[in-house]
Amino acid sequence: MRAYHQSLLMSMLIAACFFLAACTSQSSDLETGTKKDSLVLAIGSEPEDGFDPTTGWGRYGSPLFQSTLLTLDRNFNVQHDLAVDYNVSDDGLEWTVKIRDDVKFSDGEPLTIDDVIFTFETAKNSQSVVDLQNLKKMEKLDSHTVKFILEKPQSTFLYTLTMLGIVPKHAYSENYRENPVGSGPYKLVQWDKGQQLIVEENPYYYGKKSYFKKLTFLFLSEDAAFLAAKAGQVDMAAVPVNLAKEKIPGMKLIALDSVDNRGIMMPFVKPRYDSEKGVAIGHEVTSDPAIRKALNIAIDREKLVEDVLEGFGTPAYSVADNLPWWNEDTIIEDGDAEAAEKILMDAGWTKNAEGIFEKKGIKASFALVYPASDQTRQSLAIAFKQMAKKIGIEVKTEGKSWNEIEKVMHTTPVVMGWGSHDPIEMYHLYHSKYRGQGYSNANYYSNKKVDQYMDQAIHAATQEEANEYWKKAQWDGETGFSALGDAPWIWLVNLQHLYFVNEHLNIGGQKIQPHGHGWPVTEFIADWTWDE
Amino acid sequence: MLAFHIGKFILKRTLKFVTLLFAVVVLTFMLVSLSPVDPIQSYLGAEMMVVSEEQKEEIAEYYGVNQPKLQQFFKWLKMFLQGDLGTSLVYRQDVLSIIQEKFVASFALMALSWSMAGILGYALGVIAGMNKGTFADRAIKLYCFVLASTPTFWIAILLLIVFSLWLGLFPIGLGTPIGVVSEQVTWLDRLKHILLPAATLSVIGVSNITLHTRQKVIDVLDSEFIRFARAKGEEGFTLFKRHVFRNTLFPAISVHFASFGELFGGAILAEQVFSYPGLGLAIVQAGLNSDVPLMMGIVVFSTFFVFIGNLLADVLYTMIDLRMKNGEAI
Repeated sequence: MRAYHQSLLMSMLIAACFFLAACTSQSSDLETGTKKDSLVLAIGSEPEDGFDPTTGWGRYGSPLFQSTLLTLDRNFNVQHDLAVDYNVSDDGLEWTVKIRDDVKFSDGEPLTIDDVIFTFETAKNSQSVVDLQNLKKMEKLDSHTVKFILEKPQSTFLYTLTMLGIVPKHAYSENYRENPVGSGPYKLVQWDKGQQLIVEENPYYYGKKSYFKKLTFLFLSEDAAFLAAKAGQVDMAAVPVNLAKEKIPGMKLIALDSVDNRGIMMPFVKPRYDSEKGVAIGHEVTSDPAIRKALNIAIDREKLVEDVLEGFGTPAYSVADNLPWWNEDTIIEDGDAEAAEKILMDAGWTKNAEGIFEKKGIKASFALVYPASDQTRQSLAIAFKQMAKKIGIEVKTEGKSWNEIEKVMHTTPVVMGWGSHDPIEMYHLYHSKYRGQGYSNANYYSNKKVDQYMDQAIHAATQEEANEYWKKAQWDGETGFSALGDAPWIWLVNLQHLYFVNEHLNIGGQKIQPHGHGWPVTEFIADWTWDE
Repeated sequence: MLAFHIGKFILKRTLKFVTLLFAVVVLTFMLVSLSPVDPIQSYLGAEMMVVSEEQKEEIAEYYGVNQPKLQQFFKWLKMFLQGDLGTSLVYRQDVLSIIQEKFVASFALMALSWSMAGILGYALGVIAGMNKGTFADRAIKLYCFVLASTPTFWIAILLLIVFSLWLGLFPIGLGTPIGVVSEQVTWLDRLKHILLPAATLSVIGVSNITLHTRQKVIDVLDSEFIRFARAKGEEGFTLFKRHVFRNTLFPAISVHFASFGELFGGAILAEQVFSYPGLGLAIVQAGLNSDVPLMMGIVVFSTFFVFIGNLLADVLYTMIDLRMKNGEAI
């Protein structure tokens, strides 16, 4: 080798060694100590618009830095948090809430009813996901009591009171979302945008003290979170189904039930033109109730969970399985091809030479659309197609972008997914007044009795009363929007939310998770413990 | 004399830049306006079903969905000319501060990898050029061609798996250590976190400068004065030091400046894999959610950035050219 070669190579090698030497002496990123009182979690996506409840932070699960007036416990029963008492007037228009007088924000200032009023006003004007359209005005009755006055009765206003964290009027500015002073269990220490969030316990918190003094949330992609778990860098990581069967020493996989559901929305009416909205609607085949009922019975939901979700899911019979407003009588016996075919034959369908059902010259055939970017929905569509074929119904699957889906969803079945902790979701999905309004009731379903029950649910004065009506709307013995009744939807599965958790970490019992995974799992973080 | 020429050149270029910027701005705005993305659907996702129509109209107003596009454009232009880039719809923060925050991190990554790629690429190009036809030369050429066609994120993931997971030498990502408050973060920490992403980008970024330098070295070695030097008995490193180096360094640097644009794109990909904070995620979010102010801000900024790179490259070239023309030694 020539001289200059050697010196060049030498200098590169030396540089490499320098870097390696500097790096091998790295200390562990995790704290080592006798009592483990801090956690590192890679579970959620970063809220781009920050930690401001008035723009939608913390809607599900504890807002971490703030507290809400009311909460729902693990069984969805209303519990008091900031509020010590609340009641609803007979006409359902006035909600009076009285709050505690011993609460301080993390900066030591007391929380008063002015802060509550300020929060709701700010949220109302935020043009965000927080919907307070129905809030007419608020009256301050005394230093710890407020009366919310609604435009129309709305039993689901209760859920707003459990989802909106209270912000301090005195410490609110346009930078609040980066510096969220609140009355919640934790306060923000540092937020490295796009990377991590470090929080520590709020010394002024009035509630149960958490076992963990410090939490670090990492905002990593699913793959990076898994890698971090494998490298022993995090105590908890959210993972997708395809990584769930991996083994990580020292960690266990926890699968949480959810209402993160998937189902097929079937056009309910015969083909025609909606002149008001200016769109074509309806489908000749899916508008036949026999088709919808037959498919509901023919589908083997357990098999879908096994094949598509690798066992990490549960069958779905509605949009709100296992929630308090769900009518459990609507579970159906499925996977029954014989019964399904009988329904079709009783309705006048007969099999043609190819084995596909036909009626009055029309083949039992339709296109099924799914969002092209979503692999789970694609797999579900394909599995559905195969199960439908077994009972003589021809399904053609097509992947489309959301933009294209919006254009065809009134005339074509679509694989969709919903699932909320607020029953108003059912109202928007099934009430006839929402037909054709965006994604709400996009299949033009209508049933006067169902409308009536749901209106009564909205007007109800208590949760119990409301839930009774929501259940009747699903099935009252004769009709309803469930698979027993009109079956405008074919609900398929509920996903499970999967997390790798350090085997010493005990996250306790969890609520049925909503559609989105991640932050909701931190709702009861005050109850988590570390068992050595 | 030289300074005057350079000055004139920069001025002409700047005027061209202004026209270019205007064209880019108009085109970008048109594209974003024509985007089929429904920002309300992107923003709400599954919460779509618990939000009332009236509130959705408010959100539509916030995203400027119903505003006439031309009006929106002129409003933006007016603000822009006054130095105001507006407020991001997704981050609810002003665009300039977002770009400042995120660009500083991206810039550190880009600067480090650009320098590393430059030094490594030049060295490899010289070795290849001076040993044309040998195994070393062939190996280096192969390396360049293979790497030029390799996806950035693939190299990134490979490095991550080997050096972070298997060997545990480097952190799995981020810009600073996990759970450590910023006051306690050291320069060494930051270096450790930036090294793998920078290595990814430099490993790929060498191809251009290596091959270009190699060719330049071969050209120089073919020239008259080299033959004269060899006749005097010079060879190897001395030959390089005295003649090859100063004739190939400037061209190498200017070609490397021109790769500024690629740097931007590559940095964004590397950031994704290493969860390194930077402009990468911001651009994606802006696009997917039709965040017009942020999108326009980032586009203006990157156009300017690439322009500076190309300008520096061309200025250097002009300097070399002028010197050569005037018979001055480079």
